Amino acid sequence: MTDVTMTLLPAAPLHVFEIWSNPAAVAKRFKAATGFELPATGTSGGSEALRLIRFEPTVWLVEGDISALGDVLADDGALTAIGGGTVRIRLSGAGWRTLLMEGGVFNAEDPAFSAGCSAATIIDHVNVRLHVVSEDVCDAYVPLSFSADLLHFWKEAALSLFEGVAS
Amino acid sequence: MSGPTRDPKGATISFCFDGKTYKARAGDTLAAALLANGVGLVGRSFKYHRPRGIMTAGIEEPNALVTVGDGGRAEPNTRATDVFVYDGLIARSQNRWPNLSFDVGAVFSLAAPMLGAGFYYKTFFGSAKRWMFYEYFIRKAAGLGNAPTKADPDRFSQRAAFCDVLIVGAGPAGLQAALEQAEAGKRVILVEQDSILGASLIRDPQELDTAWAEGAAARIRAAGGRILTRTTASGYWEHDLVTLTQRLAEPGEVPSSGVAQRLWHVRAGQVILATGSIERPIAFAHNDRPGVMLSQAARTYVRRFGVLPGKRVVIATNNDDAYKTAQALQDAGAEIVAILDARPQFSVAAAGAESAGLPVWTNAIPSSVSGARHCLTGVTAIVDGQTKSWKADLIAVSGGFTPVVHLHMQAGGTLDWNDAAQAFVPAASRQNVTTIGGAANPDPVFPVTPVSNPKKSFIDFQNDVSLADVDLAWAEGYRSVEHLKRYTTLGMATDQGKLSNMAALGRLAEKQGVSIPEAGLTTFRPPYTPVSMGLIAGAGAKNAGAHVRRLALYDVHAAKNPIWQPLGYWFRPRAYPQGQETLAQAALREAQEVRTGVGMTDVSTLAKFEVSGPDAATFLELICATTVGKLAVGRGRYTFMLREDGIAFDDGTVWRLDENRYLLTSSTGGADRMATHISYVRQYLCPQLKVSAVNVQEHYAGIAVAGPKAKPVMDALIKADAPRHMSTVPAEIAGVPVIVLAASYSGERAFEVYVEASHAASVWAACEAEVTAQDGCLYGLEAMEFLRIEKGHLVVGGEVDGRMTPMDLALDKMLNKAGGYIGATGLSRPALAEPGRRQLVGLEAISGDIPEGAMLITHKGASPEGHVSAAAFRILEGGSVALGQLKDGFSRHGEELIASSPTRGQEARVRVVHPHFYDTAGERYRD
Repeated sequence: MTDVTMTLLPAAPLHVFEIWSNPAAVAKRFKAATGFELPATGTSGGSEALRLIRFEPTVWLVEGDISALGDVLADDGALTAIGGGTVRIRLSGAGWRTLLMEGGVFNAEDPAFSAGCSAATIIDHVNVRLHVVSEDVCDAYVPLSFSADLLHFWKEAALSLFEGVAS
Repeated sequence: MSGPTRDPKGATISFCFDGKTYKARAGDTLAAALLANGVGLVGRSFKYHRPRGIMTAGIEEPNALVTVGDGGRAEPNTRATDVFVYDGLIARSQNRWPNLSFDVGAVFSLAAPMLGAGFYYKTFFGSAKRWMFYEYFIRKAAGLGNAPTKADPDRFSQRAAFCDVLIVGAGPAGLQAALEQAEAGKRVILVEQDSILGASLIRDPQELDTAWAEGAAARIRAAGGRILTRTTASGYWEHDLVTLTQRLAEPGEVPSSGVAQRLWHVRAGQVILATGSIERPIAFAHNDRPGVMLSQAARTYVRRFGVLPGKRVVIATNNDDAYKTAQALQDAGAEIVAILDARPQFSVAAAGAESAGLPVWTNAIPSSVSGARHCLTGVTAIVDGQTKSWKADLIAVSGGFTPVVHLHMQAGGTLDWNDAAQAFVPAASRQNVTTIGGAANPDPVFPVTPVSNPKKSFIDFQNDVSLADVDLAWAEGYRSVEHLKRYTTLGMATDQGKLSNMAALGRLAEKQGVSIPEAGLTTFRPPYTPVSMGLIAGAGAKNAGAHVRRLALYDVHAAKNPIWQPLGYWFRPRAYPQGQETLAQAALREAQEVRTGVGMTDVSTLAKFEVSGPDAATFLELICATTVGKLAVGRGRYTFMLREDGIAFDDGTVWRLDENRYLLTSSTGGADRMATHISYVRQYLCPQLKVSAVNVQEHYAGIAVAGPKAKPVMDALIKADAPRHMSTVPAEIAGVPVIVLAASYSGERAFEVYVEASHAASVWAACEAEVTAQDGCLYGLEAMEFLRIEKGHLVVGGEVDGRMTPMDLALDKMLNKAGGYIGATGLSRPALAEPGRRQLVGLEAISGDIPEGAMLITHKGASPEGHVSAAAFRILEGGSVALGQLKDGFSRHGEELIASSPTRGQEARVRVVHPHFYDTAGERYRD
């Protein structure tokens, strides 16, 4: 038995929010429209209604209601839908950090990788985006085509994870 | 070899060796259990099939190699000293026939004088034909153990780990270091290849004992440290990355969790090596027999396992450590008949032993032992120049200690020669690694010069290499230690020179008349101890290395039981057979339906990029070699892309969805490459552009509807007039927003419907219902291939193979005349326009079916002038056609050639034709 539970979250709109010019002005408009700052690299911000996760210097993944973001971007960027190709898998329980080390290369066991942090990494050859929701919850954004196999990989890994690790 | 010396009531675990059942205690290694059961003969040597017993108590064991486990779980060449007995363990000896006691192969021992170093090179020469004859017998005789023929049922996992300090080895030095680091607040990983902690403390409990080790471990864990047992540091790589191999089940054992082993990739801030040292044997005649054991191993069997490996024991040593063995054996009830100390003077330990009544002989070196297959009977030594003999069933030898420095060396470190210890010790480090404990400070020893017959004095037991073999290699001119190693096979296989290296170096140095460090040292490469191949493959061992990518509509297709085809990482339906149809029959039926009615297929795997922003057209005119800027909203165009050297590398379509929004499609096989290319162009070549290029390959599922009836099908689906060829409209199907593109790969009027993948199933169902209503069918990749070949459409990886320019593919008329696209400059190189280039042609069979991949020749025996890149049957008319690349092909239409495939034994006469076999005017696209 492991102390991690995997849950497929329902399909939801996901968008790429990309800025190509005037980042400071966009950030200002963003703060005015949403009430929070554009998250810095490796972090996320917002709420259940609208969450942004910064994945690249000029690119954020947007989860939730995007109705205000068109005006925020104006001619300084674009919003592109990508939700159809991404599966969200919620890893719950104290064991999610250990699970993510299986087949991985990223230090998910680092305590500094805590709530509000995000990362893009490779797990068992699959490109995965991670977002730490809380100490016991991490959401993984997985390409649809790999999601069934990666979920299977995680389930098998979870069955063996704590075997033989005397820690 | 003595029998059991411990209370048999404690032995409750059953195991089997060579078909006979024995009992063991929990915690016994197989070697300990065999010794406890009086089994002295455990294996046969590799070359001469000499009887071999158990020489060590650790991973350095060269002799007791056995196969453990059954079926796919069988693990050959497992050291009996490195497997812990579990209930039901099955072990078999190796390299013998018909059995271990009576081994026919032992006849090779009689021929030993003729089988010395370099025997193969001196004997098996001549023509290749003769080698084929030799090879049969060599292969029969070669090898050690047999690899299992069945698949391994267990899984292997890999994981990453990060720490401040990685400590390798949980002896007293390693435990103390780990404890200090952990309690200083560092993130610590401590690894130990044994099943319990303590290492030398288990053998020699003094001030510190195993209870101290357990206490230290508890404190390390309490401080947040991680301790991994049955785990070996197998390799040291760049930037302090260390790989650990962890056994979760013993060899041959059914793992409780399904995972047999785990490979750790540990990135450490600092590495501390507390790897200890390995005791060296002494060279004397027949020193490989059962009953010859390393001194510390004998002590380990007594103190850790309660097994007395001999009752009448001779100790041979050049250092003080062996006196502890004498004491341990005597305490356990053995008779010490002689202690042969090579040193000329009594040391303090020797004097103490003598005063305690033990028979100590100084200036004494063993010269030979005698015995039978299963046991030792006597020891002969040269003592002060005189020969003396003793009856004995065990000789415990200690020739000094070799620090385990392999990880230090793999990390790029250097070694210093420690003359007192007669051993190499770690010196400078290139990475953040430190060596402590016995590995850094080995005990001093006295150098021993062998006094025995070199032909029978073995230095590499696993490979049957004797002192005479080293002498022979020297005599034949092999001066470099690296050459010596390869000529004699010294230090190969599971042994990797653990016991043999220093003895061989000593002999080589003696021959050269130089010191050992001047004689050189072989390279230390990972792994030092064996690693299962399955562990390196990890989870990929079961699925050819990577996950399968599944279509969004995978379950929909699977319900129709198609024939699947791997395409890159994807699995796609190849055909949907009905009844007893074969693949060819199903594909031809499906293709015919597209030609005469309507069919639909899943094209979701196509690469797709949404490009938006005021500079989107500018960006696309860099990526695409065709014009894009003048495309009207709602229109699309075929396009292709070039590498910077002007070679075509992908093709697709570009669609203007809105004023500043485009959809670019390209090939499935090139999707990842195209994504990388687009990212490179966006971020490096033109970061100033106001454009966003997002990979939406998986966001959109794609459904193609093709055939003369495709238009009425699409009209019904979108409840409007479907767009004309190369036009696009947004629409709704089954209440789901879709993008409809009028594009054709099949050569018929056709549409591609793109829908957000999470809603694809309902759109597919609506399309299928409408296609079925028009008596249409589903078609797979095979029919698609027939259709596109007949139409003369290209495929990336086939006709577009990384060598062809747009001119070679007859696409040059479509090039953007304004230039500016990536590859435009490269394309202007004169060499790309010179005669003699391969060019795209069609091939029509005159006789026979054209084999795909065949070479194109003018007559038998001629050099190939091209090849067949794709072949198919004419869908309605019958007959074999193909696309190919042919030298100066454009000017050779009408020429007859031979398409020859020697590997398949197939051949066809073909005529070179235009590469479009169907509707060359494109009339079938129009309504």
